[in-house]
Amino acid sequence: MLLEVKELRYSYGDRLAVAGASFELERGEIFGLLGPNGAGKTTTLSCVAGGLADWQGEMRFDGRPFAPARMPEDRARLGVVPQELALYPELTARENLQFFGRLSGLEAAELAAACDRGLALAGLDDRADDRVSRYSGGMKRRLNLVLGDLHAPELLLLDEPTVGVDPQSRNHIFEALEALRESGRTLLYTTHYMEEAQRLCDRVAIIHEGRVVGAGTPKELAAQAGVPDANLEEVFLRITGHQLRDGA
Amino acid sequence: MKRKAILPAAWTMARKDLRLYFRDRSAALLGFALPIALVTVFGFVMKIAFGGQDAMGRVELWMVDADGSARSAAFVGALRDSATIRLRPRLDEDAVDEAEARALIADGEAHHAMILDPGFGATVEAGELPAIRMLRDPGRALEDRIIGYGLLPAFLEASEGKLWPAQIERGMLEAGMDAQAADGVRAAAESMRGIIASFAAPGPGGGEGDAASAADPTGSAAALGGLFDQMVPVEAEDLAPPERPKMLTWQLAQTISGMMVMMLMFGLVAAGSSLIVERETGSLARLLVAPVARDAILLGKFLFVGIVGLLQIGVLLVYGEAVFRVGMFRDPATLAVLVFTLTLAVTSFGILVAAWAGTTKQAEGLSTLVILVMSALGGAWFPIQLFELPLAAQIATRCTLTHWAMSGFQQMLWNQKNWMDPDVLGAVGVQLGFALVAIGLAQRLFRRRYVGG
Repeated sequence: MLLEVKELRYSYGDRLAVAGASFELERGEIFGLLGPNGAGKTTTLSCVAGGLADWQGEMRFDGRPFAPARMPEDRARLGVVPQELALYPELTARENLQFFGRLSGLEAAELAAACDRGLALAGLDDRADDRVSRYSGGMKRRLNLVLGDLHAPELLLLDEPTVGVDPQSRNHIFEALEALRESGRTLLYTTHYMEEAQRLCDRVAIIHEGRVVGAGTPKELAAQAGVPDANLEEVFLRITGHQLRDGA
Repeated sequence: MKRKAILPAAWTMARKDLRLYFRDRSAALLGFALPIALVTVFGFVMKIAFGGQDAMGRVELWMVDADGSARSAAFVGALRDSATIRLRPRLDEDAVDEAEARALIADGEAHHAMILDPGFGATVEAGELPAIRMLRDPGRALEDRIIGYGLLPAFLEASEGKLWPAQIERGMLEAGMDAQAADGVRAAAESMRGIIASFAAPGPGGGEGDAASAADPTGSAAALGGLFDQMVPVEAEDLAPPERPKMLTWQLAQTISGMMVMMLMFGLVAAGSSLIVERETGSLARLLVAPVARDAILLGKFLFVGIVGLLQIGVLLVYGEAVFRVGMFRDPATLAVLVFTLTLAVTSFGILVAAWAGTTKQAEGLSTLVILVMSALGGAWFPIQLFELPLAAQIATRCTLTHWAMSGFQQMLWNQKNWMDPDVLGAVGVQLGFALVAIGLAQRLFRRRYVGG
């Protein structure tokens, strides 16, 4: 087991965003964290990534206590692909990669190789020296993805990495993620898109009102929900309900 | 994965920010052009406004009454009532002797000191012109003219017109009249002594008229002062530091120091707001989860802002020296200490604003307010220290970064002091203290706002 999260709780002031979420990630799998808006997916991911510090509960990485908010060494084992496009638009793709690569501790030789690998993975080899401000939304998304994986982390955290991209870019991202899995990387993935989770994820957890209310392979979840022949979207709606969720 | 050390990580941050800063060429160019434009405009305006012959103000004159007679006391009293002169020491201050007056001017604490030697009163009583010595800083031409306006009415009042004929004779001789003709003019003036004495005497139509019109450079007594200012027998002795450039005026030194400090503050607050931009665009989220100490982010911003500040101030100094020839590079070590200290303090202020503000607009609002208030109070816009400020205003002035930053540059430029002088070290020390407090606060705010627990 690579990551174990037990009874994770996090509050924004008086509002409890994550209310005791527990899940486990096996090494080499793509694990989907699904949930409606405001369910606590991004907050959970931020706690694991080290972006939020004052959480309660327990996290273990490779069997050892894990405190990424306070320990840079723990953060070095992670790669993060935030939901927002965390790029510098006035730098080129290569300059963005070099900057974040250096910040991740890559030395010159491995940095050059990592940048080339990232550009190839993003399909941006021929636009590597263009400023990011001139990229399409899909190109920015692909670059955003590979920036998180630049230093070949053991666990890559992705927060809705395909938001707002065209089918071609989305397909490219899927292929990139599958390639990462084949290379042995472990991925924790949040999304709204059930067909994405159906296609990519080995296992999923459905998070609802800050708690994990179901976990397993898509087939196991369907069986748990009492609709063994249903697809993941039908299972999701059955578990979380049909009412709108407009929470933060 | 190897963890990157804090300094290389901070340098990586700073290099990236420098690249971003210069990539927006218009903004970068504005950052350099704006202070240059303002220094040019303000420099010339101040030169014209305070360098003209008709400019007036109430200026400080130190007095050494070594005579101690009733006549010298009357003269000192008349000067104390002058509308153009602020006499020191005040009545509640201890008297100074000539050596102390010389030291005050040499230190730049005073610019004019008048010495009334023993025998002043007896000479006046004898109807002869006494010797009045004036120690002065030759770079304070404006103050010299204003003091000149104030002297004649006070001198007339103190002598009760007794010396009018001798003054007329002196004035004529100074103007090139031969001795015999001048003696004739003196004789004519003797017959008018009563009228002049009445004019010089205090009261309606007398001394009050002098004071009132002396405050107005276009008035009759001012015209009289302008016409007859050679009649007061003042022998001036210049005490300027030997290396001060002749082109430098006190007002120009003040303007250059003030504009440099103010514009550097504006420039560096703008640069510091890149931290807020990182937050608003989402890139800070990725930086915060990078495997480096979070303080490296703040330190990287500090380095970036500091380097931009050094570049801006460097360009400004070279430009100012090329245009105004104020001797900015006369003492490179002192200049380096002052520039480094100022950049450190202003950078800390910029980072503090960035750490406090939640949005770019907040940073802009706060910084504009604080900078303009500090600039006005600290004397960056006009020489506020020329005026008699109430105690609270004096304290407020000394609480501003601009006051101490300008004080350091004025000590170097005007008083020709080096960085080891206590006055310069004092200004440097206060700025360093300001920098330490500001960066400490910035770190606390940054950790609370961006890092959490």
